[in-house]
Amino acid sequence: MNDRTNFRGPPERTMETLFARLALTLAQPLGGRLIQPVLDLMMSTLARRHPDAFERMAELGEADLLVDPVDLPAAFLLHVGERPGLKVCDRATQANARVRGAFASLLDLFEGRIDGDALFFSRDLTIEGDTELVVGMRNSLDGEDFDLAADFGALFGPLANLPLRRPLTSLAGTLIGLHEVLLAPALRRLEQVERRLGRLEEGKR
Amino acid sequence: MASFELICPAGTLAALRAAVDAGADSVYVGFRDETNARNFPGLNFSRKELRQGVDYAHARGKQVFVAINTYPTAGNAGAWHRAVDDAADNGADAVILADLGLLDYASKSRPKLRLHLSVQASAANPEAIGLYRDAFGVRRVVLPRVLTINDIAKLNAEIDIETEVFVFGGMCPMAEGRCSLSSYATGRSPNRNGVCSPASHVRYETRGSKLVSRLGAFTINTFDEEEPAGYPTLCKGRFTTHDKASYLFEEPTSLNALHLLPDLKAAGVKALKIEGRQRGKAYIAQVVAACRDALDRFDRGQSYDATALDRVTEGGKDTAGAYGRAWR
Amino acid sequence: MSNTKTELTLGPVLFNWAPEVWRDFYFRIADEAAVDSVVIGEVVCSKRTPFFAEHIPAVVERLQAGGKQVVLGSPILATTVRERDAVRELVASAGDFLIEANDMGCVAQLGGKPHWVGPFVNVYNEATLAWMAKRGATSVSLAGELTESAISALATAAAPLGVDLEVQVFGRLPLAISVRCYHARAHGLHKDNCRYVCNEDPDGLTVDTLDGEDFLSVNGLQTLSHTYVGLTHEIATLQAMGIRRLRLSPHTADMVAVAALFRSLADGNLGAAEAREKLLAIAAPAKLSNGFFHDREGVIDTAAG
Repeated sequence: MNDRTNFRGPPERTMETLFARLALTLAQPLGGRLIQPVLDLMMSTLARRHPDAFERMAELGEADLLVDPVDLPAAFLLHVGERPGLKVCDRATQANARVRGAFASLLDLFEGRIDGDALFFSRDLTIEGDTELVVGMRNSLDGEDFDLAADFGALFGPLANLPLRRPLTSLAGTLIGLHEVLLAPALRRLEQVERRLGRLEEGKR
Repeated sequence: MASFELICPAGTLAALRAAVDAGADSVYVGFRDETNARNFPGLNFSRKELRQGVDYAHARGKQVFVAINTYPTAGNAGAWHRAVDDAADNGADAVILADLGLLDYASKSRPKLRLHLSVQASAANPEAIGLYRDAFGVRRVVLPRVLTINDIAKLNAEIDIETEVFVFGGMCPMAEGRCSLSSYATGRSPNRNGVCSPASHVRYETRGSKLVSRLGAFTINTFDEEEPAGYPTLCKGRFTTHDKASYLFEEPTSLNALHLLPDLKAAGVKALKIEGRQRGKAYIAQVVAACRDALDRFDRGQSYDATALDRVTEGGKDTAGAYGRAWR
Repeated sequence: MSNTKTELTLGPVLFNWAPEVWRDFYFRIADEAAVDSVVIGEVVCSKRTPFFAEHIPAVVERLQAGGKQVVLGSPILATTVRERDAVRELVASAGDFLIEANDMGCVAQLGGKPHWVGPFVNVYNEATLAWMAKRGATSVSLAGELTESAISALATAAAPLGVDLEVQVFGRLPLAISVRCYHARAHGLHKDNCRYVCNEDPDGLTVDTLDGEDFLSVNGLQTLSHTYVGLTHEIATLQAMGIRRLRLSPHTADMVAVAALFRSLADGNLGAAEAREKLLAIAAPAKLSNGFFHDREGVIDTAAG
């Protein structure tokens, strides 16, 4: 209990980081048009499954939050307000506030597995710009029991029915395949990751 | 019977569930507005959420208290009256109040509602506490963090009222409810607006390799690259007197009085309170579980780990605060 | 505008002045200052009281001879048995003197006797004011962080209750109280062995930010603003609301001059702009502030360009 790593929850999240890095690496040359529908779908799914959190976010007013995972090739711009949206962006993008940290930490923070204050105190997280926006976002999200694996598991149904072109399907599969990977026992996960990466790289060639 | 009742904070429904699941006897919450002293963006309960929280706690034999502990605005006290009414109507087991006028309102309009005196009332001696008890039927007082264990023992010997004291979490070095430091710098007041060092006035800047934290127009602290940072709560900032920079008021630190359980029991304390409605549910779950474990072991006469929470304290430091004279 | 004459109150000396300085200050106030009431007594730190206690009878006598109403201030914080006994003794021995209660324990001990309420008791709204009036309060000095609209609403409520309201218009504003002594801490000392170092700073110890900006002022257990509250352009508004008393908080500056200035201002014999210029000089090098009245940061001076 007094072990700091326990408190932080699963600290590594290497798999998730790997996936996200790969997805963003692949998405960059293809432009936002491929990854955007996936992000839109993710946001609408979250909004449907967590209406209270989105209601609290709407109360924060219209603003942009730059989520900047230092270990990924790009950042995310989260728009909060009446119509929240998420897009991939350059990390130099202007926003009302910016949160920087390891992708794993940001994911833990998003799911409420970790205390944002502790992360901040230990300098694992840096905040710039509108602090109220960051605190408001943190509180809005923390009030909800997010479980991204379960949340995006719900995406499989609707996604399967979308007439998506093949590269997009792969990309979506990479982002969303998180679900089945996370549910698999650790050892099998690694194999699956490797296989998935292999397939993707093959498809790209 | 357990030695102490454990009172735990929750800023959200998820945190309330985490607190109850981790062993809270009672959870205290606030509405999402200026009527409580943790009026932070995105935090706190709607009326519907309070009802859900009360249902969740009651189903498990636990209680929910609603803090309505700011000072109603002259000419505009309606929100505070509605908060008292809605807390009662949604099944709250007690309301935690500070303002005399609001206590007067609650005791007259909701005579069956259990009243606790908030730490924000800064009732620091038996005479003051007795007045609140006799005038409004207050059943419990949350003692200000200015008293030593000795003071508390004398107070409990002298006056028949339940006392609740802080055992863990952030702490004010100033007498609560009597501090305008934050409003002097930001215009937003703990007493009037329910927020100290508000996030809306906080900025972090990078100056060379240093991180600078600012509140309003003032630099509150700077941190070297590897140094643990702190939120720019004004009284935990670094300032200069006689050309020397220091944590003049208080270091970035947390109160931890777990090692004082025997003394607190001997002093007649009824309930132990954890500060931190603004903290995340992961923190709440861990702190409540650790306190529960310590209390259970203490009740069984076993030794317990008073340092279990050392790692989650602000700046990695803790203090017994005003409970010991040395703090002064 | 109210027909009653606006009165001036001199609040208690908050700082640790040498006993003779303390005595001579009040002798001069008694003889020369245009104030109506004077609150005396050690309200910040009970450790200081013994020093000037022997001068209290002479000071009281002189003030009364000078036509001033003498009011006895109670401690802001009374937690120890000794401090509580001191409050009990104050109440018991006050006789015909009014007490200004600075904590709820003192209000309780007064048991409904007519008294004043000091700015350290939270009176933020009409309901609290009414409750205080019922408990014997005849005058309430409002907390420094109250805004114009709050003061106005309270003034409206105060009239039918027969309670006078007072607002601080001059001097550093008390912002916080603690059981920890920051003066001792700044000198690396402990409260129990403080060597009374607070006597080195008769207007408070300046606290700067790390950027070297003047910010706060420490006075033992108390923390005050570094700026001096200086309400000048607001006086007419306060009078129109029905605020009965203006409070001046003592400093080493020429308080007789400060009292004369506010007397002229309140009587309409001095313009606000001119009064402000004079106050700027009196407070210097500290700046003036009036932010709280205007619902802004307390530190702000809205009249500054």
